[in-house]
Amino acid sequence: MRGVSTPAAAGVFVLAAALLAGCAAPQVTGLIGQRPAGLPEAAEIAATPFFPQEDYQCGPASLAAALVHAGRDATPESLLPQVYLPGRKGSLQAEVLAATRGHRLVAYPLAPRLEDLLREIAAGTPVVVLQNLALDWWPQWHYAVAIGYDLDARQIVLRSGVTRRLAMTLDTFEHTWARGGHWAMLALPADRLPATATESAYVSAVASLERIAPAAGRQGYETALARWPGSVAARIGLGNSSYAMHDLTGAAAAYLRATRDHPEAADAWNNLAQVLHELGSRAEALAAARRAVSLGGPRLPAYRETLEGILRAP
Amino acid sequence: MKLCHFRRAVACLLVLCLSATGTFPAFAGIVGTEAVITGVERGQIVNVLQRSEVQTRLQAMGVDPAQVQARVAALSDEEAAQLAARLDQLPAGGSDFLTVALIVFLVLLFTDIMGYTKIFPFTRPAATTK
Repeated sequence: MRGVSTPAAAGVFVLAAALLAGCAAPQVTGLIGQRPAGLPEAAEIAATPFFPQEDYQCGPASLAAALVHAGRDATPESLLPQVYLPGRKGSLQAEVLAATRGHRLVAYPLAPRLEDLLREIAAGTPVVVLQNLALDWWPQWHYAVAIGYDLDARQIVLRSGVTRRLAMTLDTFEHTWARGGHWAMLALPADRLPATATESAYVSAVASLERIAPAAGRQGYETALARWPGSVAARIGLGNSSYAMHDLTGAAAAYLRATRDHPEAADAWNNLAQVLHELGSRAEALAAARRAVSLGGPRLPAYRETLEGILRAP
Repeated sequence: MKLCHFRRAVACLLVLCLSATGTFPAFAGIVGTEAVITGVERGQIVNVLQRSEVQTRLQAMGVDPAQVQARVAALSDEEAAQLAARLDQLPAGGSDFLTVALIVFLVLLFTDIMGYTKIFPFTRPAATTK
């Protein structure tokens, strides 16, 4: 360290060094100590595109890499008006997720586990991560894309900033990632289930997609149902996305199946009632609406409105 | 009492506006999937207000008015609520690339010196003196 002479530079160095790289990180220690079954020693998605970041635009640059890898057309410039917030000189996590959905992809936030992150890389999906490169009281929030790792070398590989292939120790990464709230997300076509997907997190992610892209949402619910056929939320979602696409018969079939598999699901009865009503099956619609009302629950007022709507109709 | 009426009128107006422009996904008579999952009572009007709040604040932070509606529409109910409540405090990832480069350089220099990595040819790691 002969080159560093000024106290300021030395101070920054000591802080950065001690706090970022100083000691072994808990999750890494666990992973190295007991290698999880089925997790390859090393993996790297070399084909992940790279967009060097400009100014404060690591969000658009990282997201563009993930979207292009998922087969969408995107560049940091095209994403700028979708995710960049000039007043904050950065991009909010919620908007990174939202812009992913804007490209008809499922935005799947990972569980805060390093093992899951590595499993997704091993499965061939680059992971967008948020790091805090500095300190809690002087945060330097930074998006990057995790594309590879090597457990023996204790390293992770990132597309980061202006560096195409940044190899960092897993420990340093975990420290910076932990300070970013362990936030990580995938951008996946709706026919591909994340390697570490859980039923509730995946169906929620699809429900958020359905709101702006019903066709992609419907495909996502089908993907979810292939893996978890008993998911009542996915079954109702399948009906709702069909309904949003004006496919009333498809919607009715999905709701009907939901009421058969889950007779206690009042929402399914309510939605079935509405779609049967629109299809002109008044008697069956009334029976379904009454079933929803008798089951009750927090959305009882909505069920009552559905019932009254059917009764009011000529 | 008057204020209450006023707020209700504003809420109704917003519901009408947003449903007309297609950013209000709940259809009459249909319980939306997000509501099925979160089990909310009837979050729709609250959420419409939250979205309108987020829209105003994004615009105040320099987002192009032509883009702001599409950006807000792609948020989930939960995200819209979160942004409406604490948009100012949430992390906005966007470190200046020079800062990033400097920090990454320092960290790699340190890990090089400690012998965890071997990036720079000029470091002589302490741990590899054996």
